[in-house]
Amino acid sequence: MTNSPDERGAELRELFFETSQELLQALNEESLKLEKHPGDEEIVRSIRRTVHTLKGDSAACGLRELSELAHQFEDALSLESAAAHRALAEIAFAAADVFTEMLASYHHGGPMPPTEALRQRITELTATPAEKKNRRKKKSAEPVSQSSKNWTEAEKRAITQAKAAGLGLFDITVKIDPHCAMPIAARQLIHNAVRELGQVLVIRPDAKSPAASKQVEFVFAGMQSKEQIAVKCQIPTIAGEVSVSVIHAASGAKTLATVIDQPVASVVDVAAPADSAGKRAAPSHAEPPEVQTQNSDAGSAQTSTENILRVEAGRIDNVLNLVGELIIGKSMLQQALNEFGKRYPKELLRGKFADAMAFQARVLNDLQRSVMKIRMVPVEQLFRRFPRLVRDVAKQCGREVDLELTGLETDLDKGILDAIAEPLTHLVRNAVSHGIESAEQRLAQGKPARGKIRMHAYHQGNQVVVEISDDGRGIDAQKIRTKAIDLGITTIEEASRLSETEALDFIFRPGFSTAEEVTEVSGRGVGMDVVQSVLQRLKATIHVETHIGQGTTFRLKLPLTLAIIKALMFWVEQRLYAIPLNAVNQIARTRESEVHQVDNYEVLQLRNQVLPLLRLGRPAASDVDRKSSKLFVLVITVGERKYGLIVDALEGEEELVIKALDDQTFSTDLVNGASILGNGKVVLILNLPAVVEHVARTRSQEACLTNSGLLLNHADRTQLGLSVTGGRA
Amino acid sequence: MEQFASVKRSKDGQPVRYLIVDDSVFARKNLARMIESFGGQVAAEAGDGLTAISEFDRTHPDIVLMDITMPQMEGIEAAEKIVQAHPEARIVMVSSVGYQENIVAALQRGARHFVQKPVKPEVLYEVIKYVLGEDGAVATAAGSGV
Repeated sequence: MTNSPDERGAELRELFFETSQELLQALNEESLKLEKHPGDEEIVRSIRRTVHTLKGDSAACGLRELSELAHQFEDALSLESAAAHRALAEIAFAAADVFTEMLASYHHGGPMPPTEALRQRITELTATPAEKKNRRKKKSAEPVSQSSKNWTEAEKRAITQAKAAGLGLFDITVKIDPHCAMPIAARQLIHNAVRELGQVLVIRPDAKSPAASKQVEFVFAGMQSKEQIAVKCQIPTIAGEVSVSVIHAASGAKTLATVIDQPVASVVDVAAPADSAGKRAAPSHAEPPEVQTQNSDAGSAQTSTENILRVEAGRIDNVLNLVGELIIGKSMLQQALNEFGKRYPKELLRGKFADAMAFQARVLNDLQRSVMKIRMVPVEQLFRRFPRLVRDVAKQCGREVDLELTGLETDLDKGILDAIAEPLTHLVRNAVSHGIESAEQRLAQGKPARGKIRMHAYHQGNQVVVEISDDGRGIDAQKIRTKAIDLGITTIEEASRLSETEALDFIFRPGFSTAEEVTEVSGRGVGMDVVQSVLQRLKATIHVETHIGQGTTFRLKLPLTLAIIKALMFWVEQRLYAIPLNAVNQIARTRESEVHQVDNYEVLQLRNQVLPLLRLGRPAASDVDRKSSKLFVLVITVGERKYGLIVDALEGEEELVIKALDDQTFSTDLVNGASILGNGKVVLILNLPAVVEHVARTRSQEACLTNSGLLLNHADRTQLGLSVTGGRA
Repeated sequence: MEQFASVKRSKDGQPVRYLIVDDSVFARKNLARMIESFGGQVAAEAGDGLTAISEFDRTHPDIVLMDITMPQMEGIEAAEKIVQAHPEARIVMVSSVGYQENIVAALQRGARHFVQKPVKPEVLYEVIKYVLGEDGAVATAAGSGV
């Protein structure tokens, strides 16, 4: 063993907590299915199996309370009547919740959740089937244990036959170890052992009698000695005291084989109880094919876990980091090669270098892609939580809602997936509680009574799009405007100028909530502003599309990965900046004279579109210079809108490895990372949504200034400059 | 975890090879840990009965530790299929008390032994020694280093 037992124990515990999450997820899913098909025995069986595994694992981990509760639930589930119980799905949900809380308290400490309510409900399950229990009892009380010497006719005949065959007859009594929790299985095992030696003529007491759990007695015909038999019966962990007595010594006249050829009637008789045990096990035996069809999704998940290696995310991040360094190394080499080429233009070695570089670049590309792939997980992992959520919220709000999940196989970075869980939960909650109308309202509008929510994920270029749409009432932009004016976020005249999309953006402001929207279900903890801020941190964007009476769609555009981006680099006032390449639509050249002032916006007419302008630097000082100077304009898309970003000069495009800047050295959200180039220069990566936001804010503040496009004020820029030099140390 | 005297194969003195079948990854790791403490070696793992059969055919382990309740194909059926194809297979059923009837059924279909969940290492150790019988040898103290 490489690790100390303690370490391995801790590792196992972690593994347990991880796998138990999957089990609980499965329990939730199965419960949902059961709710749709109440009384389906197949589903009940699979619930039972899940609870069973949870029980076993938690017991092995020493989590007694959990394993006991799970055990109780499992037992209750095994009753036929429980399967038919109407409230079973409810109870299963409750159980899943209690189990989750218990696990959380084991894992992170904290108080145990109350389990009494659940215990009570489980007992209800077992209490109803009074008559069935009785029937069981009667069955088990039936066989009266016989004295071992009272042979039945069939047994006597068998004994006589064995004697005639010249075999020794033995009476074997094996006490079953009192610690063995499964005496009937123990009995079977001892039976197996004895049967290997020769002919078992009689076995008693009957498997179903209570005495069967204490000892088992055989009448046995064989050629062995007493001692050989005794040794064979000494089975560790199950057999206690063994006593073998000779009823009739072997005469050895015939071989064992001949006896075996003659089937002894009594063996069949005596074996009957054991056979019936086999039959009772038969239903579960016949189960697998059905399970396969019903469980096909869970089944595929099971098989897919087969070849999965669980690795701490930190280790992968390390590798990814190193790949990032390699990419920097690559650009250093490239730079050196360029210089070399300039200095020795005729050197033949240049071609060889270039070939090697190209090869290395390709491999590096593949390496980067494969490492990134390690971090990718299908969105299914996240989406599968939602059926339960929708069900719960719908129930609370008295809505009828169907949830449709599509694009489950779309891959997304695990970090991003985890980060969007909360925003998505909020959006889905909102969709159910505010979006979907009550059944009466829906019917009155000619819609089906059941509302529909759809979650859809798909790839789009270098992004993943997640859509959450409902077919509910939609958002009334006019109401939003009114509310925004009430809250003092905007003025009446400004509000009237806002386009619908702009007005809808107000819902992402902190503290923005229309009165009708407040219910017990939504508005807990996360608001739309939090949704927005999480998404900004991820360099993701959100867009709302709504049609009154038809529904609302929230469209989240997420980057594939957080670590490496393709970026366009440019200069502004002798400083290098970068923006994600996929935000850039086109690059245009223009003159200052083409820039117009509309209200407080600076706008640029480019072909047939009018773009609001964003300036990172200051406009040229004198009016004379301004009119003549040429400008580079990057047409960028932020959210669903286009802007013109004015820059001094372009540097080029490159793959940048984003180095996070920690909050202590850096306090602006205008920049969300930096990267080091091959030549050692530092480039700041702009956070475009924040930049646009910043301009919108300063615009209203500096309404009196004509050149309000100024983005970074002097203080901002000094700060950036400082922290960058600081960061390079 | 306490250390046990290693049990090796008596024919070649090599570690005993195991196939662990359980739908719970956790349970598998737990068993694997015990097996290693017995000086054994995990030849393969499987999460369902079908995989168990194919893994058995692939690795021919000395001992199979088989859970009862699993998706796709339950332990009993898998045990039965394995024994039909390989009568020499030593299958030890691993399951909870609630599944006694299934264990009985498995024993009737050729399983060699059973242990109860939660598995106690000392019980499993005894069971393994028993199931190996003459094919297993407990290493002397000098040779027990793992």
